[in-house]
Amino acid sequence: MRFPRLGWPLAAACTVASLAAHAGADDVRRALAARIESQLAAAPVEALPEGAPPAAAANAAPGPSPVEQGKASWTRKFKDGKSLASCYPNGGRRVAASYPLYDSRLKRVVTLEMSINQCLKVHREPLLEATDPQTMGVLTAYLRSLSEGRKVAVRVPAAAEARFEQGRRLYFTRFGQRNYACASCHVQAAGRIYAEQALSGAVGQAARWPFIRGNQAITLQAQIRDCLDRMGAAPFGAGSDEMNDLEYFLTYLSLGQPLKPNTPR
Amino acid sequence: MRIASRIAAGFLALALAPHVLAQDQGLELFVRPDKGYCIACHAVPLSAGPATRSNVGPALTGSRMRELGSAALHELLRDPTRGNPDTLMPPFGKHRILEEREIDRITEYLLALP
Repeated sequence: MRFPRLGWPLAAACTVASLAAHAGADDVRRALAARIESQLAAAPVEALPEGAPPAAAANAAPGPSPVEQGKASWTRKFKDGKSLASCYPNGGRRVAASYPLYDSRLKRVVTLEMSINQCLKVHREPLLEATDPQTMGVLTAYLRSLSEGRKVAVRVPAAAEARFEQGRRLYFTRFGQRNYACASCHVQAAGRIYAEQALSGAVGQAARWPFIRGNQAITLQAQIRDCLDRMGAAPFGAGSDEMNDLEYFLTYLSLGQPLKPNTPR
Repeated sequence: MRIASRIAAGFLALALAPHVLAQDQGLELFVRPDKGYCIACHAVPLSAGPATRSNVGPALTGSRMRELGSAALHELLRDPTRGNPDTLMPPFGKHRILEEREIDRITEYLLALP
């Protein structure tokens, strides 16, 4: 007596996962990309990989857009006369596609949000909550808009392989009361429909944040925390090593994909 | 004669009421996000629940559910990973998402699907 299985060879996911444990970052990325691409190609036409089409009304909130709000914060003068724009080359143009990056001195993954807070710290300004849509969210919306269309250029040097591997391991680990892994939905079930929403594939997700929901800019880490919460798991802290490693892994999967921030959800 | 048939109908309704109630409770648990939320992954026949395009798991039909039987369905809901460690289906009983009697209600609902 067998209950119908989920309709596709789950063994393939295990193969990808076990390959990942022994291969370099690029091999992992290629294997997952090929797997997800074939799944999405087989998905029904209405199963859009970027999620359900946004309800126009839900995103048509009054007031300035997150990008406009972010621009105002970006150019606001600090007490010392500088601004966030002064901390980055070219005022922040063409920098976002390189984040997150591995800092070999700190031996940590540094996210775009951490770099913003580092700038604020240097200039003795109050630090921002990493997933707050009103402050950090709008800043990332503007900063990433300055790199729109540029290809994700995250690198995984040999010294960072352990961080990438930790991110991969977390991505494939089942968490929480519902016993899901991130990969359950975004690798195994990519392209299928869950709660009337097409599940996006892991490849490409990190090129599209922040997402705009009800005029709020939702960062990638905020979205991951929301997912973990719905999985019945205690979310990793924003900016924690676990969360940063997850973001590092996920962003490397989108290597070479053009940044498309501020997509409505 | 009309009175007799009405009385008979009343008795029949009383006899069926617990089953109908159990199935209603089963449907509620089937769709509630904080409970089974089975509807997120599985489609059911139109007359038995909300119309969805859910296809993470297979579409559920009464004939398939009855073929499985009550005991196997109950066990499947309690811990599907026993039969298939790679399944995406949550272990509703093992992880205490649903209580035993709630699993019973969903099982009854599934067995009554058209």
